[in-house]
Amino acid sequence: MEQLQNKVAELFEKGTISLMIGFQDGMSKGAVPCFVESVEQVKLLIYNSYCKNNLAVYLHKPEVKQAKKVGIFGNVATLRSILQLLSENQFWNIELTVMTINANQEFILFESIAEVEKYVQANFPQLTDEEKELIEKINTMSRQERWEYWKDLFSTCIKCYACRAVCPMCYCPQCTVESNQPQWIKVSAQTSGNMEWHTMRAMHLAGRCINCGECGRICPVGIPVHLLTAKMNLDLSKEFGSKTGYSASNGYALNSFNPNDKEGFIR
Amino acid sequence: METKLLQSSDIPKLFDNLIKSGKVIIAPITKKSGKVFFERISSYDQVEKDYIQTQFSAKSVVFPKVEELFTYKKTDTGIEITDTLSQIPEVVVWGLRPCDSSAFDYISEFFLKENPDAYFARRKELLTLITISCPKADDACFCTSVELNPGSTAGSDILLTQMGNEYYAEIITEKGKAVVESSSDLFTATEPKTKDEFLAKITYQFSLEEIKERIKTAYDNAQWKHESMGCYGCGACAFACPTCTCFDIQDESDGDEGSRKRCWDACGLSLFTKHNSGHNPRKNQTERRRQRLMHKFKYSVENLGIVSCVGCGRCIRVCPAHLNIFENILNVTKE
Repeated sequence: MEQLQNKVAELFEKGTISLMIGFQDGMSKGAVPCFVESVEQVKLLIYNSYCKNNLAVYLHKPEVKQAKKVGIFGNVATLRSILQLLSENQFWNIELTVMTINANQEFILFESIAEVEKYVQANFPQLTDEEKELIEKINTMSRQERWEYWKDLFSTCIKCYACRAVCPMCYCPQCTVESNQPQWIKVSAQTSGNMEWHTMRAMHLAGRCINCGECGRICPVGIPVHLLTAKMNLDLSKEFGSKTGYSASNGYALNSFNPNDKEGFIR
Repeated sequence: METKLLQSSDIPKLFDNLIKSGKVIIAPITKKSGKVFFERISSYDQVEKDYIQTQFSAKSVVFPKVEELFTYKKTDTGIEITDTLSQIPEVVVWGLRPCDSSAFDYISEFFLKENPDAYFARRKELLTLITISCPKADDACFCTSVELNPGSTAGSDILLTQMGNEYYAEIITEKGKAVVESSSDLFTATEPKTKDEFLAKITYQFSLEEIKERIKTAYDNAQWKHESMGCYGCGACAFACPTCTCFDIQDESDGDEGSRKRCWDACGLSLFTKHNSGHNPRKNQTERRRQRLMHKFKYSVENLGIVSCVGCGRCIRVCPAHLNIFENILNVTKE
C-alpha cells in the first residue's frame, strides 16, 4: 500500500498524472472508488480484498476526460476493460498510466500498454465454476424453459440501470433507452419492457463484454445479468476465436472485417 | 394506546385469519437470489422470519414501481376508458421495520398535502401496517441518528416486539384495533412494557440537529465532488429508498389501446433533469448526488417540515460503489 501511495505521489510530482482513480476506505463495507487530485490526497489510497469494482468505467466520466493525464489502479478485469476500450479507440484524448497489484501482492506500474497486454495475457481469467455451472444449466434447458427462466428473473427488474452504469463497455453518450422519439424501449419496469432492455443490452455487448461480472454482482434484485453476455462471449469465441480484452488492437468480432476471410460472402 | 400480548405459536393463526379476510397480504420472503423482498404471500410458511431489512422498502404498496392510472381502448362508438382506481385492493403489510413504517408519514405528506393524489389516497386508506421491531441491525442501520429507533411506533397500525416466546403488541390506530378484534381470542391484555432490552443496538452516527443546521450552508462545499465522484449514476438507491417519491408519467400504446402509467424515477439518473434542447441543469453526477442528499436533510424540511431520511440503510447496502449516505453527509457538513 505504501508503495502504491509513494509511486502515485511521484507521478503527481513529475506531472505524469493529474488525476488518480483508485480506492479509499469507507464507513460501509467495501472499498469506495476514490479520485485523487493532488499529492496531499494520495494517503487516501488503499488496497485490500474489497477492491473489486471495475474502475475502468470511470474513464468515461467528463471530469476524468478533462484531467487528460490519468492514473488508474485496477485488477485484471479493469486492465482487460482498458485494453478493450483502447481497441475501440476510446482513449484518444487521455493519457493513461496503469497500475495493478498482482496475486503475490506486488505493486506493478506498467511502463506501456504493451506491458499491460503481456500481463493480462499471462493472467487471463477463466469463467468461475459457478458461472460455468449456471451457463451449462441454461444450455440444457429447452427453449420454453429458458424463456420462462429469464422471464421470471426479468419480471423483478426495476430498471435502475445499475447494470448499465457500472459497465465500462456501456459508454454511449445517449443510450437507446433514453430515446423517446421514437421510444424503442418502454420506460415502465414491467416484464416485456424489461426483456427488451436486457436483450438490447446483451446484443450491444456481444463480443465486447470482458466478463468482469460487475453487472451481476451489483444488481439490487439479484438478476445474474452477466450470464447473458458471458454466454455470448463463449459463442463468439467458438465461432470467431475472439478473446475480448486480450490486446489493445483486437477490435471485436462483430465489427471487424478481413479481406482474406475464408467466407466468400463477406467480400 | 392499547397494549396486548400475542403468543409466537399463535402467529400462523393470526395469518390464517388475515388471509381468510380476503385482503392482500404482503410480507418478506426470500427469493432465489437469497435477497429478501416484500411480496404477496398465501400462507405463513412463505414468510421469512430471520432478516435485518428487506432489500427494497414497503413503499411499493402505496407507490408501485409501475402504476396503471387508466387504460383506454378505441371502439366503434368512441373511446372506452377504464379507471383503475376502483380496482385497488385492501392490503396488509406484515413485518416491515419501524424505519419503513415511519417513512409512510413522509410519503403521505408528499402525496396528500397540497394536491391530494387519488391513487395514493385510496391505497393508503385501504392499507394496514403491522410492523415488527428490529431485534438486530447491521452497520448500515442508522435510524437513531435521524431520531427514530428500532422500536418506533410512527406510521404503524400495530407494532409487534418479540419478547421471548411472545410478541408485545402496541395497537396504535383504529385499523390496528380492527385486526386485533378480528382475532381477539389470540390477544391478551397486558400493562405497557419497556422494549429496550429486546431491541437492536444501533450505532449513533450524528446529531440530526447539528446536521440540519450545517447543511443549510453546505451547497457550495467543495467536498461534494470528492464524495460523489464515485457515484455511477444509477437509480438503485432511490428505488430501494422508502421515502424517494419521484416518478415519471408514461403513455404506452399498442394500436388502438393503451394505458397511462406512473413509473418510479430517480434524481440520480442524468435523464431526470435533461431538457429537450439537450441542456441539463444538473450537469454532472456530483450535482445529482448532492440533490438527493440535500433533499433528504434540507429541501424536504423546507417543503414539508420533515427530514426525509429514516436511516434504514438500504441505499448503503445496494450502492454498487459502496457510497455511504451518512459518511457523505458528515463530510460535507464538517466545519
